[in-house]
Amino acid sequence: MVIGQSTVLAAAFPPSVEDFYLPSILPWGEHNAYWFTKITVLVWVAVAAIIIFFLMSYRKPQLVPTKKQWLAESIYGFVRNNIAVDMIGPQGVRFAPYLTTLFMFILVNNFFGILPLVQISPMSHIAFPAVLAVVSYVMFIWVGIRKHGIGYFKMAVVPNAPLGILPLLVPIEIFSNFLVRPFSLAVRLFANMFAGHMLLLVFTLGGFAMINANVLLAPVSVLSWVLTIAITFLEFMVICLQAYVFTVLTASYVQGSLADEH
Amino acid sequence: MTGQKPPHDPRGDNGQNQPPDTGAGMTALSYLIAGILVWGGIGWLVDYFVGTTGIFAGIGAVLGVAGGVYLIVRRLGA
Repeated sequence: MVIGQSTVLAAAFPPSVEDFYLPSILPWGEHNAYWFTKITVLVWVAVAAIIIFFLMSYRKPQLVPTKKQWLAESIYGFVRNNIAVDMIGPQGVRFAPYLTTLFMFILVNNFFGILPLVQISPMSHIAFPAVLAVVSYVMFIWVGIRKHGIGYFKMAVVPNAPLGILPLLVPIEIFSNFLVRPFSLAVRLFANMFAGHMLLLVFTLGGFAMINANVLLAPVSVLSWVLTIAITFLEFMVICLQAYVFTVLTASYVQGSLADEH
Repeated sequence: MTGQKPPHDPRGDNGQNQPPDTGAGMTALSYLIAGILVWGGIGWLVDYFVGTTGIFAGIGAVLGVAGGVYLIVRRLGA
């Protein structure tokens, strides 16, 4: 019992949203200040890690790549060829840097969710996915206006259909293209990371709750902790998938903005 | 050296490859949901102002699904 209580610091069993709001670092230990917390640190660590990694990998590029250079080139090549060019077509190359940055930023931030001793992802706070979604949203509209002028909105909103049913279709198009898109981008990523963290909390803390309630439940607690490890691997899949999905959907929206009139 | 021609398309981006249908599922789903929400919502507003208890919301949702399916066929169909 003592072990259980001292290992998990002041964590009540049914985990709640409060568990996502970590105590402030500056000012230290403050409970209602959210300007500089572990989340803030993690985001900056992610930014620094990505910048340093790519700078170091490309500092002295070799014709026969070193291992680090190979890794960096593989990541960029993957996003460039398998997301940007595949989704958008040949002109997608100019979006590859943004898409790679987006992919890496989401991937690294998501990965904090299962990194031992860190184990919370900044993306489990909706503010971060929301800002990324707004960036992608503004970008695909901007790209559309650049390509089609103000006619972009007509193209995006008026489908190729008989005049009679246009009144039925146009509101659906407006809603689906300009309201659902940013919302679903942000919520999909946020909800996945939030649920993942919650799931890990339930299984970890649930183990402690059961062993504290009754020592006979110890085997179930152990099972619960083993499952935590299994879920961590599942989370790894979700992490990569969500980073990929966010990037692919951004590319798909850009493709829609660049498409010719139909 | 002979026999060592560089690959035809080493960068993989100068072909006329058409974008595949990735993301089409998401588009389809978003049309369906948008259809139900928009026209169901308009129907609900009509209900609210006319004083009926939900008949227009129901009709609206059905209309919205019809519109959504039509849009999916138009935008994603062959």
